[in-house]
Amino acid sequence: MVDPVIPPTPEEALAARRRRSRARAGLALGTLVICVALVMGMALFVLREIEALSSANSDNLQWSLSQTDVEFLRFRLAVEHAQMEPEALDQVRRRFDIFYSRVTSLERGDVYRALRADPAYVAPRQRIAGFLDDTVPLIDGPDAALQAALPGLAERATTISGEVRALSLAGLSAYAELSDARREGVMRTLIALAAVLGCLFAGLVLIAWVLWRLSRIAEFRALELSRAGERTRTIVETSPEAIVVSDAAGNIREFNPRAQAMFGYSRAAARHRNAINLIFPGDDAARMRTGLLAFLESGGAPGEGASHFEATATDAAGRRFPAELSIARAEAGPLYIIYVRDISRRKQAEEGLTDARDRALAGERAKAEFLAVMSHEMRTPLNGMLGTMQLLRDHSLTERQSDLLDRMDSSGHLLLGLVNDVLELSKFEAGKMTAERKPFDVARLLDGVIETAAPLASAAGNSLGWSWAGPARAVATGDARRLRQVLLNLVGNAVKFTRGGSVDVEVEVLKGGEMLEVRVIDSGIGIAPENIERIFHDFETLDSSYARQAGGTGLGLGIARRLTKLMGGEIGVESEPGEGSLFWLRIPVGAEATLPEAEAAEPAAPALRPLDLLLVEDNEINRFVARQMLEAEGHAVTEAVNGRAGVEWAESRAFDAILMDISMPVMDGPEAARRIRAGRGASADRPIIAVTAHALPEEIASFRAAGIDYCIAKPIDRAELLRTLAAAVDEGAVRPTAPAAPRAQGLLDRAQIGTLWDGLPEARRDEMLARVVAEIDTTIDALVVTAPDDPALAATVHQCAGNCAAFGLGALRAALAAIETRAKQGQPVQPEALTALGPLWAETRAELEHWRAAA
Amino acid sequence: MIARTLTQMATLAILALPQTLAAETLPAPTGEVLLTITGEITQTNDGDAARFDRAMLETLDPVTFTTSTIWTEGPQEFTGVPLKTLMETVGAEADSLAATAVNDYAVKIPDSDWIEGGPIVAYLQNGAPMSLREKGPLWVVYPFDGNPGFQNEVTYSRAIWQLDRIEVAD
Repeated sequence: MVDPVIPPTPEEALAARRRRSRARAGLALGTLVICVALVMGMALFVLREIEALSSANSDNLQWSLSQTDVEFLRFRLAVEHAQMEPEALDQVRRRFDIFYSRVTSLERGDVYRALRADPAYVAPRQRIAGFLDDTVPLIDGPDAALQAALPGLAERATTISGEVRALSLAGLSAYAELSDARREGVMRTLIALAAVLGCLFAGLVLIAWVLWRLSRIAEFRALELSRAGERTRTIVETSPEAIVVSDAAGNIREFNPRAQAMFGYSRAAARHRNAINLIFPGDDAARMRTGLLAFLESGGAPGEGASHFEATATDAAGRRFPAELSIARAEAGPLYIIYVRDISRRKQAEEGLTDARDRALAGERAKAEFLAVMSHEMRTPLNGMLGTMQLLRDHSLTERQSDLLDRMDSSGHLLLGLVNDVLELSKFEAGKMTAERKPFDVARLLDGVIETAAPLASAAGNSLGWSWAGPARAVATGDARRLRQVLLNLVGNAVKFTRGGSVDVEVEVLKGGEMLEVRVIDSGIGIAPENIERIFHDFETLDSSYARQAGGTGLGLGIARRLTKLMGGEIGVESEPGEGSLFWLRIPVGAEATLPEAEAAEPAAPALRPLDLLLVEDNEINRFVARQMLEAEGHAVTEAVNGRAGVEWAESRAFDAILMDISMPVMDGPEAARRIRAGRGASADRPIIAVTAHALPEEIASFRAAGIDYCIAKPIDRAELLRTLAAAVDEGAVRPTAPAAPRAQGLLDRAQIGTLWDGLPEARRDEMLARVVAEIDTTIDALVVTAPDDPALAATVHQCAGNCAAFGLGALRAALAAIETRAKQGQPVQPEALTALGPLWAETRAELEHWRAAA
Repeated sequence: MIARTLTQMATLAILALPQTLAAETLPAPTGEVLLTITGEITQTNDGDAARFDRAMLETLDPVTFTTSTIWTEGPQEFTGVPLKTLMETVGAEADSLAATAVNDYAVKIPDSDWIEGGPIVAYLQNGAPMSLREKGPLWVVYPFDGNPGFQNEVTYSRAIWQLDRIEVAD
């Protein structure tokens, strides 16, 4: 294993350099300490030596010692002399004393201490001392005795003279040795001194070297520092962003050329000015000071959001511009480095982009709206045409006319389909669609699809059917309506492109019940591989005679694809030209679910004897609807188109009951009821049942005053109608006192329209629908542009609301009723309420058409 | 003739200037003379010389100090006349003196030593007169312990014992 060589990081290199530098400084310091110690030691040593040398503790020893000899000799001479001249005895005494003094000195003096330890010296000295002690009595004695002892004294002095000589010689040699020792001592001192000097010199050299190194390093660092400074300066000078450096007091220290250009101050003018005041003059400064930049003049660190932010700066000329500021705090000082970037251009560009995006979106919306409006506008006359054609069939036609009518009808429906496709697409584009998730009955949905497509299939000579592949599933959760739409499209396509073949629908539950796959398999012409991708695109129709023959916008599969995606599923196709196609569809259907229980059944309508009824209703459709319902129950219906006609009929004939609309032209319902009750007509005492789309509570009271016995709500509920009729003609039945509460006001009350549908003869259903749609279309178009204070408004609205009620168009009916109420109460009608009717009707109609397509 | 006149004039001048040179102003010694000072001095009591006996020396403001010497054992107390006082007493007019001992040892002492705190001419050692055998009767002693500047061989050589003559001369 070889350790990879890791290059030192800059931090490590720096640390190593610091360590080296510290070691070098430590070495220098250590050497210095040693040198100082040496110098001090040597100084002490030398001082001691100087001290020793300065205080000489020796006399002139050699002289003193030789003087012993001399003084002894003089003593002997004095003795010799005194033997011849007795007067010279004093001299003898004097010379003896001197000699005696000298010897005493040798014996006692400090300087001779060393000498006294020398055995070569001790022996003669003792003998001399003995001689002196022996002689002292003579010297101190009387002259005569001394005179007499002189010869003996001389003799003894002669004998002792050798000892004196020996003494002085011993002293000399001892002091010569001493002197040698002292010289050696001095020499040693000098050698030590030289050694110390040598050490000192070496130490000084070392220190000099270390200092030299340190100075080199310092020089190098200074150079590095100045280069770094130069680099930094260049960076600051050439920075494309304005750089303002301020100190802890907020005063500007540095103001780079870009800042000078941006703010219009020279460097000299900007320096020492307050940074906040310069960048944000006027009121901005105070705001910045108490807000984001509070830290700047207190030496603090920039807070959250203050290190990078956008603000509006102002230059010397007063131009305000958006700026992006970055503020960094350098610890040294501290200093603040403020980067300022003029972002006016960026802001402009951003605004331009936003504008462009908004315009594009607005364009898209306008396009979608245009499409929606156009489709809607086209559908209105189209519905009118189709409805009118239906009405035309009520007249006696020749076979040729009937045939032409069929073709017109076919073309009209084709056109309607195209328009519906475009409308559907525009709804997708507007992003208004969401998928429902409700349980539905799978088998029933497929039955419906097959049933709807069956006429087309049989026309093309195709067999059509569906079956489970694998285990069946009763209930799935999802958007049944859209699934039906997609399947109708697929099956419709399959039937269109197959002649004399088969179209089979297979349904399979996948992924443990989470997914439902539906396969639509035909034996038709198939699709070429190069077209497979295209067919799900919008406005794609394959260039084949069949396709042209089949017609269509080319939107069908595009819409199917979108709907599938909306439901969270997938759609695809496999095909072999000439063999047929397989379209598959997979949608998530959730876990097993149950259908909500059917609502509690209404009490069954009692069976009634056939009644003779008068129906007073101005609205043709409502009249028609009511008539169909009543006739279906076996009752006879006489129609009157307004109140006056109703009064006339009531006078001339005795009906079992009278159904009376409230709002009618010429004469309204309550008035007609009053007249019937007031008159003596055949039906004056017959029950009158008000049928009202919208009745205020106080109105209901007035109805009763007018002689109306019952109220039922529009839209007419078949069961309720029959119950009320039963009550009216049979005293034993429960008598409702008030109309039932209005139903929930969704766009379309399917139960209501379902009741109506079931009540209508099959042949008349579509005709009725077309008529009512055309009528509502016309009315809404007129209402949207009607002045809110038009006196005819309430009547018009009422008429339309009645139609809506019959067909269960709850939301539209409610909106119309609200307008009617205001108009009736004399309150001003909001123009928005009128204009809002247009879109509401568009939605309602789309819902209605879906319902129709599914029915 | 001229020489004779000059001599007469000089004699006259000398006579006219009372106590200028060699005037016998010091009291005469009565006891044994211990010290004889000659040379360029103004105060004398025996011709050109000033002679001192013990009593005369004792009258000259004696000074006592204790010091050790290299020739004795242990600290010694010495009492005597400061050399300065002595030289002032005799009116020494030279800047040096030659001191001579009984044993004929001689040394020159410059006037830089005749100072306050300088050497004394001691006549008592430890309160007792010094005999000739004990380096007496007079001993020039420096205060070696009191002033380390005196601890050198030159000064040691000037510490003359058995002193009996001083000649003041340059």
